[in-house]
Amino acid sequence: MSSAILETTGTAATMRRNFWRGVWRVMRRKPSRLFGAVILLGFVFMGVFGPMFYPEVLPRDTSKLYAPMSAEHWFGTDGQGRDVLAQVITGSRYVLLSALVTAVITVVLGTAIGLFSGFKRGRWDTVLMRLTDMKLTIPGLPLLLVLSTVWSFGSALEMGLLLGLLGWGGVARAVRSQTLSLRERGFIEAARGLGLSTSHIVGKELLPSMAPYIAMNMLIAVTGAVYAQVGLFFLGVLPYEADNWGVMLNLSVFGGGALTTTAALPYMLAPLLAILLLTLAIVLVVDAMDEIFNPRLREE
Amino acid sequence: MKRLAAVVALLGLTAVTACSGGGTTNESSSGGGGGGLFTTIDVNRPGIDPNGPANPYNPKGNSFLGYNAMKLAWVKNHLTDPNQFYPGIAESWEIAEDNSSITIKLHAGNKWSDGRPVTAEDVRLSIGVAYTQGSTAFALTPGAAGAAADVEVVDDLTVKVTQDMTNPSSKFARGVLDTFVAPAHIWGSVLPDDFWDKLKASRGEGEDAEKAREEITALGEKIIAFAPEKDVSAGPFTLERVNPGEALLVKNPNFYNAANVAPDQVKFLNYTGNEQIWNYLISGKLDHAGFTAAPADVMNRIKQAPGTNIIKGYSPVAVGMAFNQTKKPYDNVHVRRGLAYLIDRAEVTKVASPEGGTAAVTTSGIHQKPAQEWLGAELNNLEPYNPDPAKAEEEFEAAGLQKKDGKWALPDGSPWKVTMTAPSGFSDWIAAQENIKGQLVEAGVDAEVVTVADYPLYLEEIAAGKYDVGFWLIALGPAPYDIFQRLYGASNGWTNVAGKITHSAPGKNGNWMGGAEEVEVDGTKINPGELTGKLNSVGAEEAKPIMLQLAKAANQDLPVIQLWDYVNTQFTNTSRFTGFPEQDSDLLRLPAGVWIQLGMVKKTS
Amino acid sequence: MTVIARRLAGHLARGIVMILVVATISFFIVRNIPGDPVAARYQKLLEQGMSPEAAERATAVMYGFLPQGSMWEQYVDYMTGLFRLDLGVSVTHPGSPVTSVLLGAAKWTVLPVLAGTLLSFLVGVIMGVYAAIKRSGKLGDFLAVSGSLLHGVPQYVLALLMGAIFTTLIPILPQGGTADILYEPGFNAGYIGSLIEHATLPVVTYALASYGGWILAMKSSVVTVLGDDFILAAELRGMKRTIVFRYVARNAILPLFTILALSLGLLFGGAIFIEKIFNYPGLGFLLIDSVVNRDYALMGGAFLLITAAIIVANILADLFYSVIDPRVRSGEEVSA
Repeated sequence: MSSAILETTGTAATMRRNFWRGVWRVMRRKPSRLFGAVILLGFVFMGVFGPMFYPEVLPRDTSKLYAPMSAEHWFGTDGQGRDVLAQVITGSRYVLLSALVTAVITVVLGTAIGLFSGFKRGRWDTVLMRLTDMKLTIPGLPLLLVLSTVWSFGSALEMGLLLGLLGWGGVARAVRSQTLSLRERGFIEAARGLGLSTSHIVGKELLPSMAPYIAMNMLIAVTGAVYAQVGLFFLGVLPYEADNWGVMLNLSVFGGGALTTTAALPYMLAPLLAILLLTLAIVLVVDAMDEIFNPRLREE
Repeated sequence: MKRLAAVVALLGLTAVTACSGGGTTNESSSGGGGGGLFTTIDVNRPGIDPNGPANPYNPKGNSFLGYNAMKLAWVKNHLTDPNQFYPGIAESWEIAEDNSSITIKLHAGNKWSDGRPVTAEDVRLSIGVAYTQGSTAFALTPGAAGAAADVEVVDDLTVKVTQDMTNPSSKFARGVLDTFVAPAHIWGSVLPDDFWDKLKASRGEGEDAEKAREEITALGEKIIAFAPEKDVSAGPFTLERVNPGEALLVKNPNFYNAANVAPDQVKFLNYTGNEQIWNYLISGKLDHAGFTAAPADVMNRIKQAPGTNIIKGYSPVAVGMAFNQTKKPYDNVHVRRGLAYLIDRAEVTKVASPEGGTAAVTTSGIHQKPAQEWLGAELNNLEPYNPDPAKAEEEFEAAGLQKKDGKWALPDGSPWKVTMTAPSGFSDWIAAQENIKGQLVEAGVDAEVVTVADYPLYLEEIAAGKYDVGFWLIALGPAPYDIFQRLYGASNGWTNVAGKITHSAPGKNGNWMGGAEEVEVDGTKINPGELTGKLNSVGAEEAKPIMLQLAKAANQDLPVIQLWDYVNTQFTNTSRFTGFPEQDSDLLRLPAGVWIQLGMVKKTS
Repeated sequence: MTVIARRLAGHLARGIVMILVVATISFFIVRNIPGDPVAARYQKLLEQGMSPEAAERATAVMYGFLPQGSMWEQYVDYMTGLFRLDLGVSVTHPGSPVTSVLLGAAKWTVLPVLAGTLLSFLVGVIMGVYAAIKRSGKLGDFLAVSGSLLHGVPQYVLALLMGAIFTTLIPILPQGGTADILYEPGFNAGYIGSLIEHATLPVVTYALASYGGWILAMKSSVVTVLGDDFILAAELRGMKRTIVFRYVARNAILPLFTILALSLGLLFGGAIFIEKIFNYPGLGFLLIDSVVNRDYALMGGAFLLITAAIIVANILADLFYSVIDPRVRSGEEVSA
């Protein structure tokens, strides 16, 4: 999926015209993709409005610790007697918001650096790409583990910021090589020849043709960010946040014994299911985008 | 080509599963033979380190207390008397009436696992090593309480240690007997020849003494790293081999009580989280496991495992919700009392530590078990702070707090939020704080739980006075001084240097509780820090009235709200072995290796 | 050949610089961590019911292992030590040099990850070819989506599910450890069987987690090759399907070997979650442990080793790429 090599046949205008028709065709051919898009929208809704349905401090019922699944508690209760589903929903805001921040920073920084590097070439290119290489070489999770000891993860923004600052390398590298390949095809020289300004070339010609690719990267960055932060919370190296999916996983396994007895199993499964659903949705949507924008994969 | 590859891959998988089946069956057949295999875990040390030497001083060493690591004697941790022991390397001991000396007698004819006799020389060397490791009785710090003045080898089996009576401690004998013993013929090289001269030089004042002390302390590092080629033990077992997951010990035929040691082999399993211990217990794998917190459902599954036998005893620790009294409104005793009336400790304990704790009966600063011994009937006269919203309201009003729209605010009308801090990873503390948060919010007191990355940071920040409210371990028994120094010690401004108690202002020298230097108890002013200091040198009977005064001070002034007292819940399995200690036995505070070496544990016939 | 040699020299030089940079970064991050590990250990021992004096005694000696001196002096010491492969002394493993602790853990990471990588590579590549050829059919679709899902799902989700199934619901596999200590280590059936038994869950989980990536990579590589002119020509000439298949597979798999070389860089740090969940005592486990216990030297060392492995793998991958890509071999400039 990340192998999308753009066919820059049309200009921005024709692309836009064909775009929605293409989207609809791809969606209709495989309804599962529509399903993916719906789930994705559902998650967005959950993150934005979900926490509003619940009081700030979730009600507890100490006579029902680790209650089994029931009509009242769809995924049972946790060790404090609080509804698990409510925690997944209220916890989604932190997870999704920080993932969004990460994705935006990743994409903006990555695109800017990639474009700049590919466009300017020369010494700046060398320096930036060395830097990118270095970032790509240093393994993310171990670095996060080490950084977890110095960085404050109090808010979703701080979390997103750190993950974003660590994550732009891949996008930068890819955008640069796209820019270079466009340049090799005489794309930029032609535009120059027409007397167009640099900002016009970048803003109106280069970016639009890369936009779908960047959008796909953004979605992938969202999943990456969700995994990274939930994973860090799960490992228990971060300060605990009352309702975070990773904290739920941690408490269910290491406190409730979800891997030992069945009582805390729903407590573990609820956030896992949320992650799986989110992954599935993004995989399906990216798959659809891939096919919309990458005609090579389209079937005869 | 593709089919071939697929077949190869599948073959690989089946080979893996086939072998795994074989492994399991092998284990049960080879494990059951002989005089029995005793399987256990060391709860004090998660993770078995294959690099660890068989060295009892090394925290990661593969020396297991009571199994292949021996002490002179085993401290009973009696509820009130710190000087009661079970025999270890020492067969008997005689403590002078005034605690000025202890004479230790070794078992006659006792041998190390390599056949060499255990002698007074081994004890002397081990005492020398103890000096490098910072022991209480063998301390280098000038003026330390309860330090030894002289070590004298009387004969091959007798050693006499005398106390420096300038700053005596009632715990002197305990400090001496609670010492590891290592074989001098293996360990002799770790101490330089002039060690005892150096020790003498270190006793005085001035630069030379200081230099000698530094040199001795520097030896400590070398000793920790010392790795004997082979484990030579005078305990019931010796180390056979280790891998990253498990350690195997075999019976030492030379052990003085070898005839009564039931198991032929001991296997230590590795664990890194409680969930592993739960799984071991549910599958009935362990013959013994020390205290492990477990949620109710897991506990039920463990109880269902065949042979499971749960023994409960006293654990000399309690946890309290501690206040930083330099912060408003916690400087006001009525606020602290109001909170004490609001918090339902039984509910907190049920959520946070159902098996590992019992809700505190009241705040006395003493664990409820020894509290009865220390305070007697007076315990019932202390205010129990049963949940009572009306009284809480009274107290809050007395403190001048205002109630607006059902929410309590500070006297000046600004909002009040109880911010509790806990280190992440302490799941029982966090669960408790979450529960308290819920309780307080219901009663109109806004609250939140904040966690910090880890315990080191938590301790550093709490000592720096950064938190309003945090959890704090208290009531560390059995020695009376240890019990109250957690409330009226360094963390509350009183430091004990060379037997002299000095008080520092809040925010200085680690004083973060910031309580008043004098507290009114039943109408008279007392200085709890000085009283606590006195406990160091008095006997049990003299200590009782002081303990009562301090318990009353803690109860009325509430520097902490005592939440729950820990319970020492241990798991044993009677399918393979029997003869485990009774409920509440003092042996529960000693490693299972001590039960085995004392000959209590028998093979199930 | 000289071009490759020059490339190699350049890479090596850059690799060494990178390692030094990473060492510097990890040194400064690690030394800036607040919190006093000695005090923490003391309190922990108290909580476990140890008497204050015993706890004091147990912790006092740790002071000796903490680095002394100004930050700059410590830095110089650390960097000069690095050249002697001396990474300092671990606080949580007193007396053991960090290097030996790391090496002890490394072998328990390398073997399962290597086995898992090869297993998933084999299966993934074969399934990838299928997915590409049958990409319009139900099977191909299923393979592709399952690949994306497995690739997308984080390691820990898979590991938790595998753990729940095979250690809790159907407890047939051991949870944690490397081998049963009752077996004499060595080349005997019991010991090796026990080793394999203990490694099964980590290996299979690792294979499952990385299998998705291979299937996707192979599929897209095959699709690219299928579009190439020489395949079309071969088909037009009426060659047998099996021969075409061989053409496709051979050409499509080459770029994957580069990725394989790259993924070998994860040998040390690729299984952190798996090791944590299955309690397998590898490097990732050690890293988490050192973070939790604030063991500066060990944390820095583990991080450095994990990163160094990736740097080395990158160099290998690039060399491999040079060997198979004729443009590089002939000394032509290749735009990255």
